[in-house]
Amino acid sequence: MARSLWSGSLSFGLVNVPVAMVTAVRDLDLHFRQLHEKDGAPIEVQRWCSKEDVEVPWDEITHAYEIEGGGQVIVTDEELEAIEPRRTRTIDIESFVDLAEVDPVYFDHPYYLLPAGSDDGSARAYRLLVEVMARTDRAALGRFVMRAKEYLAIVRAHDRALMLSTMLFADEVRDTKDVAAATQKSHKPSAQQLKAAVAVIEELSENWEPGEWKDRYRRRLQDVVARKRKGETIKVPEPQEAAEEAPDLMAALEQTLAEMRSGKRQKQEA
Amino acid sequence: MPRSIWNGTITFGLIGVPIKVHSASESHTIHFHQVHESDGARIKQKRMCSKEGKEVPYKEVAMGYELRGGEFVMLEKDEIDAAAGSRSRRIELEQFVERDQIDPVFYDRTYYLGAGEDGADAYRLLHDALEQAQRTGLGRWVFHNREYLVAVRASDEVLALHTMRFADELVPVSKLDISAPSRKPSEPELDMAEQLVESLHKAFRPGAFKDTYRDRVAELIKRKAKGEEIELPEYEEPEAPDDLMAALEASLGKGKKSRSKARS
Repeated sequence: MARSLWSGSLSFGLVNVPVAMVTAVRDLDLHFRQLHEKDGAPIEVQRWCSKEDVEVPWDEITHAYEIEGGGQVIVTDEELEAIEPRRTRTIDIESFVDLAEVDPVYFDHPYYLLPAGSDDGSARAYRLLVEVMARTDRAALGRFVMRAKEYLAIVRAHDRALMLSTMLFADEVRDTKDVAAATQKSHKPSAQQLKAAVAVIEELSENWEPGEWKDRYRRRLQDVVARKRKGETIKVPEPQEAAEEAPDLMAALEQTLAEMRSGKRQKQEA
Repeated sequence: MPRSIWNGTITFGLIGVPIKVHSASESHTIHFHQVHESDGARIKQKRMCSKEGKEVPYKEVAMGYELRGGEFVMLEKDEIDAAAGSRSRRIELEQFVERDQIDPVFYDRTYYLGAGEDGADAYRLLHDALEQAQRTGLGRWVFHNREYLVAVRASDEVLALHTMRFADELVPVSKLDISAPSRKPSEPELDMAEQLVESLHKAFRPGAFKDTYRDRVAELIKRKAKGEEIELPEYEEPEAPDDLMAALEASLGKGKKSRSKARS
């Protein structure tokens, strides 16, 4: 069981549910350490003072904010802690929203909230919240502070657990109006093109089976490490040039559909 | 929109859609430099060889994969990059799934796609077809020497691309320690809780939430610049309710009162 990253209470009206937060994702990436190529010794990162050219221990390091026009303001850990909001030990549910209304762009890191109180009341309050959110398809919005940062969070039912995702603030999401999304009327597809494109999409449609999609990068990296361990040399592949596409959309659509229907185009293995 | 971070082609069947990838988010976190307390001088990081005790220039840095027993398999940086695979400039949408089937927990980073050169018609066609079919396309994307699983969907007027988490990266609920209550919540409790959810129901308006912590950090910097002292606040721990039903009733009563107050 992963250790909890935060504990406090989820507050819902006058109901407080003691919870502990654990991560919902596990890091399966391969991690590397920097080595000195010549002697294979691990590299240590040291912090040095740029003025005195001596190594600086952690407890002599503080934060500085650079102000416009030169100069800096020193801010200590204690001062940063002092401005953490008072409600730092609670996730205060401010509202409930329809989960489907929340654009996935806002979701950041996922966590689980686990019931933390040892008493039966906590377990029941937790279960009540899971059941009522599952029943209504609503998610709770609230704020909390973790590691000196205030987060906006969305809490929802996920199986029999509460899942919390930290969220981006609206001003951290870029406006799409500057994206070249070809919205001019002249780019609108004809009814015939649209019908053919939808048909291609439907031909390629399957059920979402997340377990079928494997992390091929992780597998290849494991392979590179294993081969290297045996003393093999690894060749770096050249970048591929993208093949030119058929300029005529309708012709490409028709050819795709014809190939699919004659069974020539096989579904690729995930 | 800032310049694109990747250009290439999305394909589905034989149809090619030239696209440009833009990040969908930008961080506004206030960043600090590390400085030496005694003289305020900037801290710089030095890579030191643990054997020789000397600084190591970046070009002499190799990567080590640690084996049990503290030994390392040493790799060149570009040997690690080789695991990226084909380094193709295309994203083939291999499969489409119903848009609502994908739980948002799978979405990692979001990017917005713009139409690439001479690609406006194809872009609009893919966008409109995804919207009409209510589907999301899945494919592989090689970006910064790493291959990602990506989902491409229509989001309002644009195409959005999400890098995806893999199923084995998610902690299953069965692995969690969730103690079951001695008895399940009762129907009256559930009804009451549902009323409370309804009373707090709102449309999702992301702009209504401001990062007030960021504002406080900015304020702190301003006050410090003027030489002010900063004080520490104290906390109170809230407790779980002994009587769930009473707490629910009190919450609803409170909710109603404050609403009628707001109206008067």
